[in-house]
Parts: sequence; C-alpha cells; structure tokens
Amino acid sequence: MNDLRDPRKTFGEALVDAAQNNKNIVAISADSSSGSGMTPFKQRFPDRHIEFGIMEQGIIGFSAGLATTGKIPFVVAIAPFVTARPFEMFRNDLGYMRQNVKVVGRCSGLTYSDLGATHQSLDDIAIIRTIPGVTVINPGDPVDIVKAVHAAAAHVGPVYIKIGSPKMPVLMDENYPFRIGRGVVMEDGNDVTIIGTGTVLSKAADAARILKQKGIQPRLINMHTIKPLDRELVLKAAAETGKIVTVEEGYLAGGLGSCIAELVAVEHPVPMKMIGIDDLFCDTGPYEELLARYGLQGEQIAETVEQFLS
Amino acid sequence: MLKLDKLERTELAKMAVQIRKNVLRMIKAGRMGHIGGALSVVEILTALYFKVMRVDPQNPAWPQRDRFVLSAGHKCLALYATLAQKGFFDLAILDTYGSLCSRLGGHPDMYKVPGVETNTGALGHGLSIAGGMAMGQKMDGLDARVYVIMGDGELAEGSNWEAAAAASHHKLDNLLVFVDRNHLQISGPTVDVMNYEPLDKRWQAFGWSVREIDGHDLKQIVENATDIPFEKGRPSVIIADTVKSKGLSFAENKVEFHYWKATDEDLVIAQRELDEIEERISQ
Repeated sequence: MNDLRDPRKTFGEALVDAAQNNKNIVAISADSSSGSGMTPFKQRFPDRHIEFGIMEQGIIGFSAGLATTGKIPFVVAIAPFVTARPFEMFRNDLGYMRQNVKVVGRCSGLTYSDLGATHQSLDDIAIIRTIPGVTVINPGDPVDIVKAVHAAAAHVGPVYIKIGSPKMPVLMDENYPFRIGRGVVMEDGNDVTIIGTGTVLSKAADAARILKQKGIQPRLINMHTIKPLDRELVLKAAAETGKIVTVEEGYLAGGLGSCIAELVAVEHPVPMKMIGIDDLFCDTGPYEELLARYGLQGEQIAETVEQFLS
Repeated sequence: MLKLDKLERTELAKMAVQIRKNVLRMIKAGRMGHIGGALSVVEILTALYFKVMRVDPQNPAWPQRDRFVLSAGHKCLALYATLAQKGFFDLAILDTYGSLCSRLGGHPDMYKVPGVETNTGALGHGLSIAGGMAMGQKMDGLDARVYVIMGDGELAEGSNWEAAAAASHHKLDNLLVFVDRNHLQISGPTVDVMNYEPLDKRWQAFGWSVREIDGHDLKQIVENATDIPFEKGRPSVIIADTVKSKGLSFAENKVEFHYWKATDEDLVIAQRELDEIEERISQ
C-alpha cells in the first residue's frame, strides 16, 4: 500500500503511450490539459492536441464529428463538466450516433473535496450508464487506469472513464489481464461479498483486511467496469456468499450498488447493503476527512459490514 | 465560383419541384410532418446535392466526400426527398414515412438512411458535429467540405455559439453554414420569440465571413456555395432568406404549418399547386 501514484499523471502517461501506437488518437481539452495530466501529450503530439477553452458542450459535438473522420478523441476535463453539463450531447452525439469517443472525467467523486458540490461528481455513473451502448469504466487503482486507457483506445465505441485526483495506492498486479466488462476477485471468501469500484476500492480493500483479522472471510471484487456489468461474477458471488455489500464514492441512486441490485433482485435475490452517498449535496473539506464524514473509510466500511452480517 | 446558365437553372428548378413533390409524397403516406421548414430549404438542398457537393450515392461512406449536416433535423422531409432523388435509396421508401419502424423517422437516423451523416433532431448539436468533421478533414489533408443547414429559431440554442466560436478560432474555412431564415418558429415570428438579429453582425462578431441571399434563388445559392471560403481562414455563413412552406400558397408564411396534419382535401390542393409550378417552369 506504500506505492502511491497520481491518477492524472498516470492517465496522461498512458495516453501518450497509447497515442504512440495509434496515430488516430487525438486529445481534446477544455482549458483542462495540465490539470488532466495531458502536458506530456501536448509536448509529444502538439498537432494532435486540440484546445477549445471552457466549452464543455461544444467539445462533445466536435469530438463526435472528429470521430466520424476516423479520429479517436480522448476528451478530458473535470468530471461533472463532461457528463452532467453536456449530457444531451453525450447521449445523442456519442451514444445515439455510436461515435468512437473516449470521455475521461477527472477529479471525480468527492476528490475535489474542497471545491464543493458544483465540482464533485457523484451522479456521473448513474446518468451516463443510461445511455445505450456506452461503456462505463471506474478504475480502482493506477494499474487499472493505465489498462483502462489502452482498453478504451482499442474498443470501438463511446467510453466513459472516471478517475480521481489524490494519489492512490497500487492494488492490482501490473500484469493482470484487464478486460472491459470483467470484474476481478481480489480476495476469495464465502462469508460476504464486498464489491468496490473506483477511488474507494482501496477503502473496500482496507475493510476486507480488517474483517479478516476478525475472522470474517469476505470476497473482495474490483468492479472496474460498471457497464457492461460482469453479471456472471456477481451472480456467482450472490450464490456462493449469499450477501453483497457495495462500496462506491457516488450517489446510491443509480450507481454501482443500484446496478448490482437491479441484477440480483431479478436473477438471484440476496440481502444487500449499499455504501455510498445518500440523497444530498456534500460538504467541503480535506478529502480523507470528507470520506469519513460519509462512512467511506476502511474501518467504517468494516463496521457497516459487521453490522450487516449480524 | 460555378456560374449557372439559364438552362441549368431551369433544370435545377424542375428538380426542386420534384423534391417538393417527394416531400408531399411522404406527407401523403404519413399524414403529418414538419412541412414548413422542409419546404423552405428545398432550393438549398437541391443546389447542394445536384450542383455543389461531391458525393457518391453508390458509396455514401467515401472518405473524400463532402458532407452535409442537417442541424435543424426536423426539416428531414426535404433531406429524405433529396437523397432519394439523388439515388441514395429507392424512392419507394418515401411511401413508408410514418409507418411503424420506417427507416424515415421524424428526425434523421444515419444508421437507417443512406446519405444521412448525423442523428440530429435536438437543436443546437449540428454545428459542433460539423465543425469536428471539418477539423478532421483538414487534419487528413482532404480538400473536402462540410455544409450545414440551421434554422433561424435554432440559433437561440447557446451551444451553437460555442461551435461558432470554435470554428472560427480553429480557422475551419472548409465549413459553410446556411441559416434558413424563414422568419417563423412554432410560437410565432422568430424576432418576437427570441430576437437574434442582426444575424449578419452576430456571425461576423464570431469571426465568420457572412453573405445574405435569397434562399429560393438557385443561381445565388450555387454561385455563393461554390465560392467558399468567402475569406481564407474563416468559416463561411450564408443567411438565406426563405419562405416557410414555400410552394404551397395556402401554407406559405403561416406558423400553423410548422407541423402539418394534412386532410385529404389539403393534399389534393397541394398536389395541384406543385403540378402548376412544374408546368410554369417547363413552359
């Protein structure tokens, strides 16, 4: 857990790497390139970086148009401004038009902890996953981010990737086979399944460790792809562990927990506990303290799981 | 600039009538549709597809093609009528308009209709998409161009002005927009509903090179549309003054014909009027 990496820097380096192998990749910026880790891309491929200023509706349409000519635009900006603000452009120009555009929302979840509800992005998974044909990836660690960038570049179709802001611990093996739509069992166990995603996967992992010390054997799953959901893995966990807890840094309405509940309620009903953000606009403050305020630290998650099991 | 002689002009005028008849054919099939704005852009589409644009109906995805984006997607009856006439698909498909799962919906679908480049309908999307196309063509070193039709009422969507700024900032001089200024929208005269006049000065202020023409004069349309860029390094816009529901005297300039629910009697009169226009041109 000592290997901490900057998610935006990690993303930017991965994009340069992907772009070296694919000349069609272009980077689209809404006055957001340096904060999105794209400085190395601009230096390396100045002709393939296109600046639009603070124009978050326009960049989605322009990217769709570029994609019709064979380009693979990576649109990167602050998460709510590439999801909630241009939602209709995302739905129509990328989803309905099935364009090969990759939208990356950075500083998502509560990670813009000091900047308040306008900049925090808690609804992006809920709204973007309603768009038919859009892949939604929420990488759980820096290794996932790199793999998600390469997988998104190789995938034909619109993709949304959300990443955070503070440095995050490396949890995954650098050589593990990342596949879109395939969750990863990080710890095996049969007492309960904990499914974590994105920026708080590490908190779910902390909780799993604490529970194991107390003699509870949780199954821990990294659900890096929200859509398409790994149905097989979830249903297997439901059948084998009989209880599911979901952990996410986002609204409970429509998020990961919702996705899992939609599936198991119909296919294999089991008791569930969903940990995330309730129906409210969040406060501001230091990131780790803010996570604690909403019950998203490892010890709190472990406690919630224990109560759920009892 | 392509000059149009009298004979060519007559031939194009005949084509425009045929396209209006194709529009009426769809209304006959579906009994309703956005007729007003479709009929105001017929000459523009006729000129583009039969004189100006390089397209191949046998190869709609030809990479070097010019592209057309109907930002005001509700005018799609005119686009379907033109594409079918150009040979992108069988004219008989026009008779499916309004039927269950017809390829021809009330707004265009690029995956259902050969020749359609974008899925428009929600206003204020087309110019950004067209700008991206024009940018992609330039990056690939193509001399292809992108042509767009927008409605004058549509200009109230703020997203258009994001796109207008970006197109001039990025010097997309392979982009030509027609603003179909038919002066009416659902609630009434455009200047009363939300006034964006003076359009020429607004577009100029956004860095575009502007011309104003009669949007039903085929000679003016062809000669200006083949004269782009009007200024090197700037996108071009033609503000085309048009008449809503042009060609149907009982509907011209009437806001209630933005969307028409046609009676049998209406259709008979409409057909007769288009026949009369055709006869006049042929004489």
